[in-house]
Amino acid sequence: MKAFSDYHPLVLLVYFLSILIVAMFVNNPVIGLFALFGGILFCIMLSKRSEAAGNLGFYIPLFFMVAITNPLFSHNGVTPLFFLNGNPVTVEAFAYGVAIAVMVIGVMMWCKCYSAIMTSDKFLYLFGKAIPKLSLVLSMALRFIPMFKRQMHKVSRAQRSMGLYSSKSFIDKIKSGMRVFMAMLSWSLENSIETSASMKARGYGLKGRTNFSLFRFYPRDGALLSVCVVLLGVTVAGIITGDTAFYYYPRISELTLTPLAVAVYAAFGIMSFLPFMIEVKEALKWKYYISKI
Amino acid sequence: MEILHIENLTFTYPKTKKPAIENIDLSINSGEFTVICGQSGCGKTTLLKLMKKELAPAGEKSGKIFYDGVLQEELPDKKSASEIGYVLQNPDSQIVTDKVWHELAFGLENLGIPTEVIRRRVGEMASYFGIQDWFRKKTDELSGGQKQLLNLASVMVMQPRILILDEPTSRLDPIAATDFISTLQKLNRELGLTVIIAEHRLEEVFPIADKAVVMDSGRIIASGAPREIGDKLSEINKEHPMFCGLPSAVRIYNALGIEDSCPLTVREGRAFLEKHFFNAAESEKAELTEIDKMTTEYEHSETAAIEMKNVWFRYEKDLPDILRGTSLKVYGGEIYCILGGNGAGKTTALNVISGLDKAYRGKIIINGKQIKDYKGNSLYRKLLALLPQEPQTVFIKDSVREDLADMLEILEIPKSEREKKIDEISKKLGITELLDKHPYDLSGGEQQKCAIAKILMSEPRILLLDEPTKGLDAFSKLTLRKLLRGLKQEGMTIIMVTHDVEFSGETADRCALFFDGEILSADIPERFFSENNFYTTAANRMARGLWKYALTCGQVVEKCQNSKGEAT
Amino acid sequence: MKKDILAILGIILIIAVIINGTEIQSVDEYYLTHIDDITPESETVFITIRCDTILDNLDALDDNLREFVPPDGVILPKTEYVLRNGDTVFDILDRAVRYNKIQMEYQGAKLNSFGSVYIQGINFLYEFSCGPLSGWMYRVDGEFPNYGCSKYELKDGQSIEWIYTCDLGQDVGAEWFNNLGGQNK
Repeated sequence: MKAFSDYHPLVLLVYFLSILIVAMFVNNPVIGLFALFGGILFCIMLSKRSEAAGNLGFYIPLFFMVAITNPLFSHNGVTPLFFLNGNPVTVEAFAYGVAIAVMVIGVMMWCKCYSAIMTSDKFLYLFGKAIPKLSLVLSMALRFIPMFKRQMHKVSRAQRSMGLYSSKSFIDKIKSGMRVFMAMLSWSLENSIETSASMKARGYGLKGRTNFSLFRFYPRDGALLSVCVVLLGVTVAGIITGDTAFYYYPRISELTLTPLAVAVYAAFGIMSFLPFMIEVKEALKWKYYISKI
Repeated sequence: MEILHIENLTFTYPKTKKPAIENIDLSINSGEFTVICGQSGCGKTTLLKLMKKELAPAGEKSGKIFYDGVLQEELPDKKSASEIGYVLQNPDSQIVTDKVWHELAFGLENLGIPTEVIRRRVGEMASYFGIQDWFRKKTDELSGGQKQLLNLASVMVMQPRILILDEPTSRLDPIAATDFISTLQKLNRELGLTVIIAEHRLEEVFPIADKAVVMDSGRIIASGAPREIGDKLSEINKEHPMFCGLPSAVRIYNALGIEDSCPLTVREGRAFLEKHFFNAAESEKAELTEIDKMTTEYEHSETAAIEMKNVWFRYEKDLPDILRGTSLKVYGGEIYCILGGNGAGKTTALNVISGLDKAYRGKIIINGKQIKDYKGNSLYRKLLALLPQEPQTVFIKDSVREDLADMLEILEIPKSEREKKIDEISKKLGITELLDKHPYDLSGGEQQKCAIAKILMSEPRILLLDEPTKGLDAFSKLTLRKLLRGLKQEGMTIIMVTHDVEFSGETADRCALFFDGEILSADIPERFFSENNFYTTAANRMARGLWKYALTCGQVVEKCQNSKGEAT
Repeated sequence: MKKDILAILGIILIIAVIINGTEIQSVDEYYLTHIDDITPESETVFITIRCDTILDNLDALDDNLREFVPPDGVILPKTEYVLRNGDTVFDILDRAVRYNKIQMEYQGAKLNSFGSVYIQGINFLYEFSCGPLSGWMYRVDGEFPNYGCSKYELKDGQSIEWIYTCDLGQDVGAEWFNNLGGQNK
């Protein structure tokens, strides 16, 4: 999953936000399904094969649970299947439940991809420009937290080997934990003194600090960004005109296939599978190069 | 050309009477490699910090420091920040940001350099230091050696003209330390960078230095070319304590007092010994019998204190085995030393013995009882204690005394007896004066002693030490050795894991090599090291052509003097 | 972690089902309502269900709901039903809609803070279906009672009207309009 994540953070952010917002707020089965399958495909590309089974075991039951919950609480719909405590359980409510499940799982997938692709440094880069101090502080915090955790682990092990933690009593455990934590506070202080020495030694505090980042806005970033904006524009247009309006209650409406609606579906479909397409294109390109070599 | 000039510098910390450094006169020429050595607490760090005005500690200062002909106080901030680079001791705490590339750029950002220039300079530096492979990694994922290299690179990227390093290798393992020092040498040779380094690890730094400065209690007692340092020290005192910190070749040369040029490296030392003692390669047979005698010479009880039988361990199910059928037997009252490369799993072995990690197969028997049969704290009460690699992690209170008292409280010793116990142990370890200090304010050696004091409170019979000599200067090592020997006299069984060939050669009863998850060979040091080509002491490498079993400088000198006696 | 999420969701679901009870009826069973024949001795009440206010506010109505608004706004014309002992407004409504197979959804008395049944929708027209101030209200003999429909016990000859409001009752002549629908309070 190199090709897509190499795009400029701004492009990635715009892309993810567009997909997430459309998927969350547009109640249309075609859009929902595109978002779901696009998200699943993207996730598969991002994750290791060993994780796949575990993920299936989580998302499939979750899907059914969400889908079933809706008809239990919503009784609208013209086609009752049976009555539960005097309230109808309807086909429409089931259909809507499935639609919600599609949306929820789809959004979860995209959020997963988002956190895998928009790493802390990309996020910092985007928001660091606005608040340079904050971005440095965040970067330092991200540096400090794992170090703190590691040191805490070391200290608690050292204490355990002196017979501090081995008591079974719960109160003793809390006491031991508190002692380690107090020790960690003085360690943090000590550590930060050295860090600040190292910062001062390298001229921190001089006037006119600049902000460096590895990211560059290449023409291809511009291209992808404009593609995203155009596709999003088409989608939003369809939503505003109501061409993609869809209802589950009380009667499931039919999909209207006006030219604009078709255009919206096509636009959102392309958008959902964009990372996949970019990846495939890149893979083919490599294959082609290798065969030429 | 003179780049740094220090004139009659005296510095006193607030609330102390005695100056930390006194009447220092020092002149450093551009392109020079200067090593500053001396016992911890001799004022090295204070001197180095004063050289960079951003780091100068608060206190009373007199005298003048000139950089590039300009008085330090008048030096523009930007020039001072970029041209005088400073690398500290702890690789971890110096790193400011979470990503390697960001860390490299940090100094340049502070100088207000535009992005495009930063990009070029960072790229250049990363390729020079071979960082490109981990350029985009998180700083937290790096090894200690990589971290220190990153610290060096992120200072070098600011294009300093002078580089000051305060014991940069003391937290590194030997291989990483050697790498680091050769990088320094490369910078000095290829870029003409002026280097000032405070170091304990003189074996490697001494030969490449242009100038050595020896400090003692805040004063410079000798300075000059490394070859002359030995002679200059001898003039002050034939058996100056500073000698034990110098490279083996220098020590042997000075102990013998032969008129010749002073050898610095193993190669030179070897040539020196062969030149003067070639005819002394006497009968090896006599020596062999000598060695046979040695086997029984060290004291230990006949029963095993610790036994590992075919122990297997891995951290997680999917990770590779770290211990693969490890077996070992340590007798009561012996000092057993496990040597081995980096990441070989020595520390893991120790953790498994100490019960911190549980083996998934095999038996660990401690004092004749399986480790799993020790319930609750019983293993850590009057039986076994582990000193972790970073002695700092042992302390959790604000003073050493409180820490010791705390330990006694845990051991449920009545209040009335605590004072007496603390007194006893601190006299024994010589830490009485340190009792009221904050543990973090102590030097490496002092921390070590206090940590040992704390773990000795539980009156263990078995002491496990993980890399006890890491970051210690020669004097502290000497004290540690005496301490361990003393504990052995009292019947303590000691297992230690170390990289330090010199230390284990001088201290251990038996040494063992840990490799590929197994203990390969265990033998008395004389036999263990004489079979190794690389993995042996510097003195042995120098003298092995003549006397195969001479391990320590003392032993080599003794042999030399004996053979001289015979020759004349 | 993920397993925990699943388990928690599952437990919530099961608890919800248990609280709601699990009385399941088929569609036919549900609509099979016994209506007492009107005899001269029996006490009776009248019920009407109307949504004519929607006709004036058709722009606010979701497009897909138009088919459920009768052209004259009358969902159930004035009908007479036998009043059994202790019947409330809700009982009559429930019987009437079942008999006429009109869809109706309500929130049980246990589930809201008023302690009374709350009518959410009749004939697919729900609260908020026609603007944010819309919903169902009832009046008995021209008066809007100030409490829930399952608490209002009827007397012989009374006349119930279920009226859909698009403006918190103002458009149907309710004098107070601080509570939506006027069924409760």
